[in-house]
Amino acid sequence: MLKMFIAQTKAESIRIVRSPFFLLFSIAMPLAFYFLFTSMYGTDKSIEATTWGVFSLMSMTAFSLIGTAVSQFGIRLSFEHQDGWVRLLRLTPLTPAVWLGSKLVAQMVIHLVVIVIIFSSAGVVHNIQLTAMQWITCGLWLWIGSIAFLALGALLGTLKNANTSVAIGNVLQMGLAILGGLWMPLNGLPTWMQAIGEWLPSHRYANGAWNMVAGQALEVIDFIILAGFGAVFMVVSVYIFNRREAV
Amino acid sequence: MMIQVNAIECRNLVKQFGDFRAVDHMNLNFEKGKISALLGPNGAGKTTAISMMLGLMRPTSGEIQVLGMSAGTKELRQRVGALTQDVRAADGLTVKEVLELFRSYYRNPMSLERLLDISGLHGDVKRRAASLSGGQRRRLAFAQSLAGNPELILLDEPTVAMDVEARGRFWETIRALASDGRTVLLTTHYLEEADAVADHIAVIAKGRVVAEGAPEQLKAQTALRTISFRATNAPEEQVWLTLPGVEKAECNGERVRLHAQQTDELLFTLMQSKWGVTDIEVQSASLEDTFRSLTTS
Repeated sequence: MLKMFIAQTKAESIRIVRSPFFLLFSIAMPLAFYFLFTSMYGTDKSIEATTWGVFSLMSMTAFSLIGTAVSQFGIRLSFEHQDGWVRLLRLTPLTPAVWLGSKLVAQMVIHLVVIVIIFSSAGVVHNIQLTAMQWITCGLWLWIGSIAFLALGALLGTLKNANTSVAIGNVLQMGLAILGGLWMPLNGLPTWMQAIGEWLPSHRYANGAWNMVAGQALEVIDFIILAGFGAVFMVVSVYIFNRREAV
Repeated sequence: MMIQVNAIECRNLVKQFGDFRAVDHMNLNFEKGKISALLGPNGAGKTTAISMMLGLMRPTSGEIQVLGMSAGTKELRQRVGALTQDVRAADGLTVKEVLELFRSYYRNPMSLERLLDISGLHGDVKRRAASLSGGQRRRLAFAQSLAGNPELILLDEPTVAMDVEARGRFWETIRALASDGRTVLLTTHYLEEADAVADHIAVIAKGRVVAEGAPEQLKAQTALRTISFRATNAPEEQVWLTLPGVEKAECNGERVRLHAQQTDELLFTLMQSKWGVTDIEVQSASLEDTFRSLTTS
């Protein structure tokens, strides 16, 4: 059982890392935008009680992890259903629990790697004023918070048509990023967008990290909204999976 | 101790999809250690039957026992290998990685060497599975199905899209696997394939078993013979059909060809007639003709 779990987790991790979409959308694009924003606005220019160099680093890391969870987990699930891969695995002794569990573990390992890569790239290029404790707590918050978006991915993964899943996944990822204030601060957006954005899990996800880099305490509402969305996505996707099994 | 003779037993198996009955009271027994074929035209219910044996589908009614257990149990997944139709390879993994992954699922996996021998992919171990050609991918899928060193192997249309040479090599592999004491059941719509590789054939059409037995038995039981001859004074065409045992008549000028179950009495009748019968030739029908006569009605 353990041997199976380890082999499956290794295989799933390799598949994510080798995906050209991972390299492009999870690493290259967030980093490119990070360096674009910091050079456009100035690394040290202050924003929301911190500087662009730090604020945007948190936003772009959050953006990368949302995308990684939605596409590498969610969209990939849809493809695996569509291509008959899931059906093939059902013929082997691999249980659905081990299969999904190893996917989630692989995904979390990769998320940690993404955080380390993006944080260290920024740290090497810019002189970022964060204490070791802040680096670690922000990293942990973003890492653990990404579970909520894995739940969103699971919901997306219940779609049987992979093309629909890709389309919805892209819209979700961009929508959550823009309305959540990850591209530009929420108070720079039209008021109706702000009104929506405040309640989005993406905003709450990034907001937790923004507060920490500004030396403020974590807001309880950030945690509640993020965990609440995560729980709802999880319950709904489990419900859909189970209902489909019963047929 | 009871000795289980049959690897697979189906009793009154029925699968209904809405108004369509894909499998209609099938009774099948496949003996352990033998190669069996489920032969039938497309849409006969072969894939549905296999899916139920694998536990991928639940029968509407009836019963299936696989290796003495009910279909789809966890233990069976350790002991049964299956090749289904149209499965795409996992992206991102190499041939070796895919095979090692599948080997990790089983208690007693087949060695990587043997899997590579069987699939003929020794030269491609480092290639991405997704970049293989269609035929290579099919061979990889076959190796995946053998990763657990299964005692029962179910193959759904294994040689579709294979060329003649590849098919011949595949049959050799199947025979080698069966000679280790494994049971093999394959579905096919190629009669030639069933005849070449199987010890036992079950012919199915419209969800029912229409004939069953060893290939020679099947031929003997169901084969039509043909008598062709020249008749200088032939009667009207319908008259041929009234002769003993005649099922079909083809006339081409003086040349007549009659299809019949058994030909002794018919020959006697022809010789005694006043139709000027000469140049008589008797032939047994090919298995192909038998198959066609069984599966079309």
